[in-house]
Amino acid sequence: MNYFWLSFKAIFVKDIVTELRAKQVLPTMIVLGMLIVWILRIVSEAASIQEAVMGPAALWIAFLFAGLLAQERSFAVEQQQNCINALLLAPVDVGTIFLSKLFVNVVMLCIFEIIIVPVVILSFQLKPPERWLSLIAVLLLGNIGISSIGTLFSATVQFSSSLLSIIVLVVLMPMMIPATFALLLLFGAIPEQLAGTGALAFVGDFKAAVGYLAAFDVVFTAAGWLLFGFVVQE
Amino acid sequence: MRRILLLLTVALLLISTWMAFTVGQVVPAEKNITVEKNIVYVHVPSAICSTLCFLLLFVAGICYLVTNKPMWDYIGAASAEVALVFSTVLNATGSIFSRPFWNTWWTPSPRLIFSAILWFLCVAYLILRANIQNPRYRARICAVFGIIAFLDVPMVFITARLMTDQHIGNVEFESAWQRASFGLSILSIAFLGVLLIWIKTDILKSRAKFENELT
Repeated sequence: MNYFWLSFKAIFVKDIVTELRAKQVLPTMIVLGMLIVWILRIVSEAASIQEAVMGPAALWIAFLFAGLLAQERSFAVEQQQNCINALLLAPVDVGTIFLSKLFVNVVMLCIFEIIIVPVVILSFQLKPPERWLSLIAVLLLGNIGISSIGTLFSATVQFSSSLLSIIVLVVLMPMMIPATFALLLLFGAIPEQLAGTGALAFVGDFKAAVGYLAAFDVVFTAAGWLLFGFVVQE
Repeated sequence: MRRILLLLTVALLLISTWMAFTVGQVVPAEKNITVEKNIVYVHVPSAICSTLCFLLLFVAGICYLVTNKPMWDYIGAASAEVALVFSTVLNATGSIFSRPFWNTWWTPSPRLIFSAILWFLCVAYLILRANIQNPRYRARICAVFGIIAFLDVPMVFITARLMTDQHIGNVEFESAWQRASFGLSILSIAFLGVLLIWIKTDILKSRAKFENELT
């Protein structure tokens, strides 16, 4: 267990330090996210869509695409001078490599969230939710789900980066429904008493949506931890 | 062996089609609806078969990762392709069905969302396959993706069984003939699926052999 933490920390610190020194991806993620939010804001104004409905959707679209950038980087940097071989040669379990890479991506998305969530709230004139803790929980759960599938398949970047985006976007499609629904409830776009009725009845109430998200996270992270060795194996 | 299966499949398809239009015909309750409910004899079996193909994709993925035999990779690829065919049929017949009933081609109801996801997963698998050149690496990544893709499928099943939906529930038939022709149509389409997977597996196997001889 001690060894696990040691190797986990080593890989995590290595990746974070490289990113902080190179400042390669975080600025790109933030600008991309802002552009997506900005375009959707203009569209919602032009089509007179209720802003509270559009905001959460814009948030998740920005997360998905910014997340793709972060995940692509996590193994693209290892391709330079075949660092990936050195990493695999190190006496560390591949599952640990996966978990620490996942944690790096989660942290990157968290930094991104800290900037982009206020941008979304301001530009869509959303009412800041009273339940801050629930908001953070939903964002974090969505974050882990997005990162887990992305990190698992990010080793395919050596073939082509478009592969990663198609896999991540398709596999995460079902997860985005409860994720968006939970944010819609939190931002008051759907009144609480209407949850669990109508066209989106199958998502249920807030608790059920969060439950779905947590289930996806557990399944995808466990699957990633088990299968990662097969993806990176030479 | 395969010729027998081919003959059996053709015979079953002919019989079930004949039965669907004669003794098993479903008469629409509302007379003004022009599309006949007979589409259920294609729609439901292809839904069942595409899910079964996904199960096969999952099993083949696990078997490939455990044994490293290329045969499992071919079976997985073939079942993904057949799953794409069946889920295309599923979504197309569903659209034809929903237009007169709900007055729309597509609506976000659980079953429709998840059958669309099924279709996208098949397409993503085939895109992934077409983009990796190294056969061993391709087989491994595709096996992993097949396993992950199957993790989404329980959602299809759960939503179809448990959740509130404007989609009609499980089909109920009035006569024994209708039930018989329904069972027969499921059987014939399952046979068709097995036949298609078998043929495609052989094609992939001989293509790999040919490529090996070239290099």
